[in-house]
Amino acid sequence: MRKLFALMSLLVIASMALAACGTPAAPAAPAEPATTESSSGTTTQPSTESPSTEAPAASADFVSKDPTTFVVAQSEVGIDTFDPALAYDTASGEILQNVYETLVFYDGEATDKFVPQLAESWETSADGTVYTFKIRSGVKFHEGGDMTPSDVAYSFQRGLLQGGYSSPQWLLAEPFFGVGNDDITMLVDEGASADDRDALSANDSAKLVAACEKVQSAIVADDAAGTVTMTLAQPWGPFLATIAQSWGSIMDKEWVVKNGGWDGSCDTWQNFYGMTSADDPFSTIANGTGAFKIEKFANGEEIVLARNENYWREPAKLARVVLKQVPEWGTRFSMMQTGDADLATVPPANRSQMDELVGAFQTYDAATNTYGPTQEVCSYNASALGAEKFTACAAGEAGNGKPFLLRIGRPGVAMDVLLFNWNIATSADSPNPYIGSGKLDGNGIPADFFSDEHIRKGFAYAFDWDTLIDDVFSGEALQPYQLTLPGMPGFFPDTPHYTFDLDKATEEFKLADVDHDGIPAGEDPEGDVWTSGFRVQMSYNQGNVTRQTIAEILAGNLSEINDKFQIETLGLPWPAYLRAQRAKQIPLMTGGWQEDIHDPHNWYQPYTTGTYGGRQSLPDDVKDQFKEILNRGVAETDPAKRAEIYKEANQLYYDLAVGVPLSIVTTHGFAQRWIEGQILNPIFSGAYYYTISKK
Amino acid sequence: MPASYKFKKDEIPGLLGENELASFSARNSEIHPSQERFLLMVNYIIRRLMLVPLLLFGVTVLIFGMLSFLQPVERLALYMRDFPKNDKAIPALIAKYDLDKPMYVQYWNWMWGKVDAQGNRDGGILFGNFGYSRSASQPVAELIQRRFPATLELTIWAVAPVVLVGIWLGVQAAVHHNGFVDQIARIFSIIGTSFPTFVFGLLLLMIFYANLRWFPPGRLSDEFTRIVESASYHRYTTLITIDALLNGRLDIFWDAMRHLIMPILTLSYINWATFLRITRGSMLETLRMEYVTTARAKGLPERDVIYKHAQPNAMLPVVTLAGFSVVGLLAGAVITETVFNYPGIGSAAVRAATSLDVVAMLGFALFDGFILIIAALVVDVLYAFVDPRVRLS
Repeated sequence: MRKLFALMSLLVIASMALAACGTPAAPAAPAEPATTESSSGTTTQPSTESPSTEAPAASADFVSKDPTTFVVAQSEVGIDTFDPALAYDTASGEILQNVYETLVFYDGEATDKFVPQLAESWETSADGTVYTFKIRSGVKFHEGGDMTPSDVAYSFQRGLLQGGYSSPQWLLAEPFFGVGNDDITMLVDEGASADDRDALSANDSAKLVAACEKVQSAIVADDAAGTVTMTLAQPWGPFLATIAQSWGSIMDKEWVVKNGGWDGSCDTWQNFYGMTSADDPFSTIANGTGAFKIEKFANGEEIVLARNENYWREPAKLARVVLKQVPEWGTRFSMMQTGDADLATVPPANRSQMDELVGAFQTYDAATNTYGPTQEVCSYNASALGAEKFTACAAGEAGNGKPFLLRIGRPGVAMDVLLFNWNIATSADSPNPYIGSGKLDGNGIPADFFSDEHIRKGFAYAFDWDTLIDDVFSGEALQPYQLTLPGMPGFFPDTPHYTFDLDKATEEFKLADVDHDGIPAGEDPEGDVWTSGFRVQMSYNQGNVTRQTIAEILAGNLSEINDKFQIETLGLPWPAYLRAQRAKQIPLMTGGWQEDIHDPHNWYQPYTTGTYGGRQSLPDDVKDQFKEILNRGVAETDPAKRAEIYKEANQLYYDLAVGVPLSIVTTHGFAQRWIEGQILNPIFSGAYYYTISKK
Repeated sequence: MPASYKFKKDEIPGLLGENELASFSARNSEIHPSQERFLLMVNYIIRRLMLVPLLLFGVTVLIFGMLSFLQPVERLALYMRDFPKNDKAIPALIAKYDLDKPMYVQYWNWMWGKVDAQGNRDGGILFGNFGYSRSASQPVAELIQRRFPATLELTIWAVAPVVLVGIWLGVQAAVHHNGFVDQIARIFSIIGTSFPTFVFGLLLLMIFYANLRWFPPGRLSDEFTRIVESASYHRYTTLITIDALLNGRLDIFWDAMRHLIMPILTLSYINWATFLRITRGSMLETLRMEYVTTARAKGLPERDVIYKHAQPNAMLPVVTLAGFSVVGLLAGAVITETVFNYPGIGSAAVRAATSLDVVAMLGFALFDGFILIIAALVVDVLYAFVDPRVRLS
């Protein structure tokens, strides 16, 4: 009987091992070279049909199962809203940039050049404050309405008037109302009623009407002439870049009114101000002029975009785009292997699985600011880093015929920053679930925990960039020393920055005075953070393994400093994460920023006086210091002078440890080899499907 | 006394004393035994049904009791779709919805809804308003309505292989006690118990999808999804397989079955282990009973001894297990649905839980509680069928 058991056990184990070692099936690929895999790696038997030429042999002709449907397997399909006035996350932005359209759009991969879209042309006044757009005629919304200059003016007015402080409308508010006026409430009551509709409505009606009329006078439509004139408060260099993104999308006024939206009256606009996405009727429906319209929206499940057959240009080549939520990586990987998915979310930790199936690659060329030509892969070295893993085929050599194309090495336009909430939202009636007891008792943190500069610096010194970059990104990331990106005014490679140093971190924690008794924690006989310790939750958006790992690195290092320093990691779905941030409830988080426009103002403003500054509950005196610097920076046109101004911002951000820049990732993106025509503009929110086709 | 009744008494030796039996039969002497059994069963079912509202009330009290651990601002989510962007508005809203009042007032509002002066009702689970799920961007009732058919369909197709095959395996193991079949079954059981569901699921996915491409994840292929969601396709039941048959679309039926096979196999394999062990143990115990020995001594064929005499009595614990396994399936097979990207109620509940979507979690808890109560009722009735002692007691 024992022999029988042993035999059966061996059989079971052997069958599992066989299953685990199975050769991943390549997608339908006629005449592709035969590949076999062994435990020691991949060996390739060149196809006998490979042409013998001087150039590397062309890859097998990869053909998709269904060239009309594009499937993206995402770790999460969590859309916050379809309302262009409110949408301010990349997940929503991807849908909007395919469903709605703007007056101007990016010229291919350029982040600072624009081509007409819903505007046929435009003119700028000599002083740079008046833009006159000639609006394209013959464009229809998905539900049949004609797009007119009035729709254009209404869309901008609606956004400015009802977006609220937590929306992207600050990007438009500043050019129209002046630097620092980042919300319509600034025109009514100096921003006292920001994001508070009831408080706004309580203002004198004359003030409310005046604010609305100011907006309407700044954006004027002339349907007869087919133009829209926009008058800015001051010259604004990146204005076209600002209106090229989703918050510049054009909506159908008639449709908005019919569905319960603002009717354009200056007597009622305040009733629509600062809506939450759950209360906004336009958060789940859309009616744009874009190449695709929404066919199905099942949040947390899938979104289906169908081709707009009445598009004003030639209809898209793809008939349908399906964004599927597939939370399990193994399932997404299988979908890529079988060719059922064209693109998929690949966590950095799982890249090596995909790398093994790369048959061609393109590396970033800084000189041309784009990817170089496609090179066939002839050998793969798993132990190397980055593009060095792949050896391009020599002349006449046939590629390995594997199914994926890899694009690698381009520095991203996004940065992760460790953010501290200086005054965490909590109250006796509604204690914050993310800060434990809410006290300095070792089982939580007080609401003003991170208002202590030494605590923030302690956290900064406790972060290990090398571990993050090597372990999470396999060396494919950079430690940013400041908030600007390379190539921008204000970027200095030698600027002061924090480094991983547990001794310095310990020093800082001992200098902290969380109980405000005037005695540093390291010397406090009554106890302080050094003796009591703390427990706090660090949140990240679910499925984002990078942010999860960032939290874990920090948690590990802090517990090494003091075993009473506890960080609990908590994954939240994107909409919940976003909402908790907006409610200023999250004490410690990794904030990601993908630039809206390629300008330093777009980095310093959100991280200090704008979006993240708000979510971090930065005190007014800190905001004022940054505001003064940034106002000088955006008004200055000389790049050299701007650089010096933003250098001051770098220093202040470092001195106060407002946040800690963590990483800029370089690209490592996979796609099926049958995809063609994809524009790889780094500033896009996801893919722009209009130009994409499949073989 | 009719012979058939004597047989019933023999079947439950020692349970009813002679005096009790005489008294019982005297009360019912004018009724035919089959009618008598029917009436007893009806009586039993009515008594059980009368308990259902009480149990449901208990469930709502328990779930609402959990709510009391939340802060008023969190309970606000029961009535509002989203938190206001500005914290200053929160105290007024807490007062508006009585969230600072005693719990019984809040319970009543939760059940009945908060009705304002204009007669508008916010909330009220008695009116089917379970609140708004922020994680799914839709009302909880609609979310359950959208996701439950997929789970129900999976349960319907999984229940036969899970329960019947599991029982059959257990019986075979017991009958061939310590034999080759029993040893195989025991190995099978050990692996099934110790194998994590997600590992088994991923293994299946790798073999049958990534390599063989036979059974894809999800619920239906995109091309058929478009047909099923089109206006011209009749959705009689919202169960894709059943609707496909009713529409005469065997291609859709087969495609849906291809998507169901791996989840069914995973659920079956994991559950077989439990069924096998329970059935085997119960059967072994029953086969050692004296009445089984008597049956054998009387010369009954072994097949009759096992399937007619031993198996029905051995099924008592298995019925309970089966009932609660079905409840587990209906409440959503969380891991299986996640691995196979199956859009059922389990994956929706996990999403709600991980996003701290309290309203949706409460909705799912109530829904699961309701299913549990109904399933318990069904199990009780089945018990009464299987074991006459239950309905006589």
